[in-house]
Parts: sequence; C-alpha cells; structure tokens
Amino acid sequence: MTAYHTDDIIAVDDLVVVYPDGTRAVDGISFRVRAGEFFGFLGPNGAGKSTTIKTLTTLLRMTSGYASVAGAMVDRDPDEVRRSIGVVSQDTVVDVDLTGRENLLLFGRLQHVSSEVLEERVDQLLRVVELEDVAGKPAGRYSGGMRKRLDLASALVHEPSLLFLDEPTTGLDPQSRAALWEYLETINREKGVTIFLTTQYMEEADRLCKRIAIIDHGRLIGEGTPGELKSALGGETIELSFESSGNPELVARAAKVLGTIAGLSQLSTATSSLSASAANAERLLPSVITTLAKEDIHPSALSVSTPTLDDVFLRLTGRRIRSDELDRRTTEPFLQ
Amino acid sequence: MSLMLDTGALFRRYFTKLVRNPTLLVTNLVTPVAFLALFSQMLGKLSVFPGVGGSFLAYLTPGIVVMCSVMFSAQAGMSIVNDLNSGFLQKMLVTQVNRGAILLGRLCTDVFMVVIASILVVLAAIAMGVSFVTGVPGILLLLATSAFFGLTWAAIFLAIGLKTRSAETLSAFGSGVAFILLFLSSGMFPKSIMPGWAQTFSAWNPVSYVSNAMRSTVLGGYDWGAFASAYAVTGALAVVAFAAALYQFRKTVH
Ligand SMILES: Nc1ncnc2c1ncn2[C@@H]1O[C@H](COP(=O)(O)OP(=O)(O)O)[C@@H](O)[C@H]1O
Ligand SMILES: [Mg+2]
Repeated sequence: MTAYHTDDIIAVDDLVVVYPDGTRAVDGISFRVRAGEFFGFLGPNGAGKSTTIKTLTTLLRMTSGYASVAGAMVDRDPDEVRRSIGVVSQDTVVDVDLTGRENLLLFGRLQHVSSEVLEERVDQLLRVVELEDVAGKPAGRYSGGMRKRLDLASALVHEPSLLFLDEPTTGLDPQSRAALWEYLETINREKGVTIFLTTQYMEEADRLCKRIAIIDHGRLIGEGTPGELKSALGGETIELSFESSGNPELVARAAKVLGTIAGLSQLSTATSSLSASAANAERLLPSVITTLAKEDIHPSALSVSTPTLDDVFLRLTGRRIRSDELDRRTTEPFLQ
Repeated sequence: MSLMLDTGALFRRYFTKLVRNPTLLVTNLVTPVAFLALFSQMLGKLSVFPGVGGSFLAYLTPGIVVMCSVMFSAQAGMSIVNDLNSGFLQKMLVTQVNRGAILLGRLCTDVFMVVIASILVVLAAIAMGVSFVTGVPGILLLLATSAFFGLTWAAIFLAIGLKTRSAETLSAFGSGVAFILLFLSSGMFPKSIMPGWAQTFSAWNPVSYVSNAMRSTVLGGYDWGAFASAYAVTGALAVVAFAAALYQFRKTVH
C-alpha cells in the first residue's frame, strides 16, 4: 500500500474487478483523489470506467484489492460510503411519471433529508440546474439535457461531499454539455464538492479536471495534471512550411540547421514541411528564425501547437480514440 | 424508523405512477367488474347446478375478488423489472434508502390496490343484488383474505421479475398462468360442471381454497374449516414466494 493521506477522499490500491463471465474489467488499478479535487478518469469505450465507478459506489463487489471512499472501506462499510456520495450514472435515470420537483423530493426522502429543509433545498437545486420553470411538468416531457440536469440535481439533494459522474456529457448537444460543465465547476469551486468524472472526451478532461488518470483495458496507463501529461510528450510542436511544393533538398537543409539549436528534438521532415518538439517553443522561435535566416532559408509559415490529450492517448496506447466510437452507446448490464 | 419512512416515500412514488397512467389503472379496476357482470349474465343458468347455492352471481363474486389479487400483483413484478432495466433501482441503491423498504413499498402499493379493486367488485355485486349473509364483518374478512392472497402473488411476481428481468416473461406468465389458475378453480365454475381432469386440478389449486373460504361469507355463512385450509395453503405459498423474492433481491443488490 502506498502512502495514505487523511485528505484522500478516494484511495484505491490494486483494485481488481472480474465479472462472473470471467471478464477482467478492472485489472489492478491504484490511485488517490484528494478532497476538493476535480478528478478525471479518461478512457475509451470498454476501458473499465463504469465498472470502477460501480465498485466505488457500492453497486458491484470488488474481486480483490482495497478501496476506501470518504473514510470508509467500500466492501466493509457500504452504508457509510453511501452517506457521503452522490452518483450520476452513465444512463440518465429519472422517473418519467413524476415531475421534476417530485423526483427531487423523492430522492431527498430516500436520502433521509429532514423535511424542514427539503422543500427549500429542492427549490434551490431546481434554480441551480435551471429547471424551475418546468419543475411541475412530468420528467417524461423533458429533453435529454434537462433530464441529465435533473439526474444531477437528484444526486446532490443530500449535499454529498463527493460526486461521481459516469460520462455525464455523452449524448448531450454542445449547448447542454457546456451548461453541465459550468454547473460542475460551480459545485466544485463554491461548495467544495470533490468530483470524480469519467469521460471519453479529451477536451472535456482537459477543460474540467485538475488531475487525470488514463485507463485502458482495465489498467491505468498515465496519471497527472493535463499539463504534466502533455509535457511528457516533449512539450509543444513547432512546424515550418515551405512555399515551393516539394523541395526536399531545402527541407533537409533546414533540418540540418535546426539540429544545431539546443532544446529542439524529434525533428521530422516531409516534402515541404518540417516539425520539431520543444519544451518551451515560444522562447525558441526567435533563434529558429534568425538561425534559418543566416543560412538564407525563409519558411513561408511557422506555427506552434500544444499537444492535446488525444496526442497523449495516442502516445501511450498507440491508438486514437475514434470519434465514431463515442456515440455507440453500450448498454449497461447490471451487476453479476 | 427509516424502514417505515422509506416505505412511505416509495409507496407515494408507486401510487403517483399508477394514478398518472389512468388507462392501465382504469382497465385493471374495470375488468374484474366487467367480468362479474358478463359471466353472471351469460352463465346465469349455472345457478341451478349443485354447489352454486341458487345464484351464480353470488357464487362468482369471491372468484372475481381473487382475480383482482392476481391482476394487481402482476404490477409488482412489472415495476421492479422496469426499475432494474431503466437503472432506477441502481439509482435507489446508491442512496441511503433502507433496502427492505424497496420491496415493502412495492408490496404495500399492490396490496392497497388489490383491496381497492376488491371493494369495487363487492360494491358491484351488492348493486347487482348479492347480499352477504355474514354482513360487513364477513366483507372485511373477505377483503383481508384477498389482501393476503394478493401479497403472496405480489411476492411471486417480484421473484419472477427479479429472476428474469423481462417484462415479456412477466406479462406472459401474468396473463397465462394466472388465467389458467383462475378458470381451473372452483372460484369461477362449480365442480359439478367440470370434466374430471379439471376437477383434479381444481382440487389442488390454491385459488379454489381461497375462493371457497371467501364464498362462505356470501353464501351459507362462515366456514371456518375452509378459512383454515385457505390460510394454511396461502401461508405455505407465501413462505416459499417470500423466500424466493428475498433470495432474488439479495442476489440483485448483494
Ligand atoms: N455485467 C458485465 N458482465 C461481463 N462483462 C462486462 C459487464 N459489464 C461490463 N463488462 C465488460 O467489462 C469491460 C469494461 O466495461 P465498462 O466498465 O463498462 O467500460 P467503460 O465504462 O469504460 O466503457 C468491457 O469489456 C465490458 O464489455
Ligand atoms: Mg461506461
């Protein structure tokens, strides 16, 4: 077991979850989440994200390993865990026959929120997720985005200190997604709620999460802040283009010149362009330009790009997360 | 304490859902009354058969009450299957809700509806001219018996729903097996008109025991022997059904 801090709200060591059919969905993962953190679990379809969330939220039994959530052992004291957590599952779940308000009141009662504060808290939540105007309508008449917001609100009704969200924005339109991002950032920043979020979207993890763990085939293959993960790739990429289409000779000469500049690495050439990596590309640009100019080499365009998490994933797994995989929603078989 | 409160909250949910689906509710409430009216009219000639007691309408009334027990109990299974497949059960399971309340809230709703439907049948029978020889106490005993039988059936449907997780299986079982049990029992038709094999089936059929006991509140006066058998048979069935429902529930929620 690695170091255990008292403010680790989630501590997982060598967690293994094997389904009865033998599928090793989670294959020995270890990680820590600090209280107040916005933590992202990033991975493609079938990586083991939902299985991890179901295990940490007491829905699935772990096969082996150690997991504590909000100070309680998940396998020994599930009741204690449930007291502190809110869960938004991958499939949006609301009672379509009940109104938005009735949905929240129901979950308030099931979470044993005292009746004195319940009404007021429900009103406040409806305001936060901007459903006040439709609170009296059956949730069956809500759009996908509205249902997701209602689902989120019902996970917050007992004011949990830790919120789990399993791919909350999958299947949402861009506007709903942006709105959800904002609610989550507000909840995390203003209420200090720790957030554990899974996603297949690189830009989502990049935008929201302070720290990310990347999961693939049930194993963690990378962990750190988005910045750390990106700089592990060697920082930014400088790309030079040359007007004359296909002048390999010129490109080769440029590459040779650039090779003398300290701090540039991974030079690669194409027929009319050239790229190189640098930890701090902006600061190297002036010397790149002047060095080339001395040799009378004048690139027609010059760009600096920061690697995305997509590049990180490609680097770590040799695969890109294909966007056509995103919308093929898996049905979630329940337990066992 | 949390068991009672959570059961109450879930009863409220299920009851609201029933009321918000009026087509299903009205169909379930009207069908037994319609059966009572239709069968008693069309098969009025059965009144003169031995064992019928002079009025097929009166004879049939407890049988139709039993029909209510089975019809509404099927909802228990349907509802748990829907909650399982939609993820609502899982959403409840990550809350602090008392686990037992999830089953109890459902069972209370079904028993409540069974009693309402049974009252409607009794009122319809009275409106059509049936008089209960045992009066109001007898009617209350009939309703209590119907509630107990309904509870048992609700547990059976819950167990099947949790096991199969399939709405199709449940509705097939609900209409098929329940129909057979009802029609091949002394609750629907007197033994004297049944072929031999049906008589044999009817003699083993729990529905027969329950309707025979209930019928004594309408015709002939309390038959305590019949009530003892009815409660013994239903009790035994209930023990098995609840054990199966609890076992399946434990397996589902671990
Ligand atoms: N109930 C189950 N039984 C057997 N295998 C399952 C079950 N649920 C998920 N799996 C498998 O476990 C792996 C991880 O699934 P999951 O945790 O749902 O991944 P993700 O949420 O990252 O898409 C996949 O290979 C999936 O097919
Ligand atoms: Mg998933």
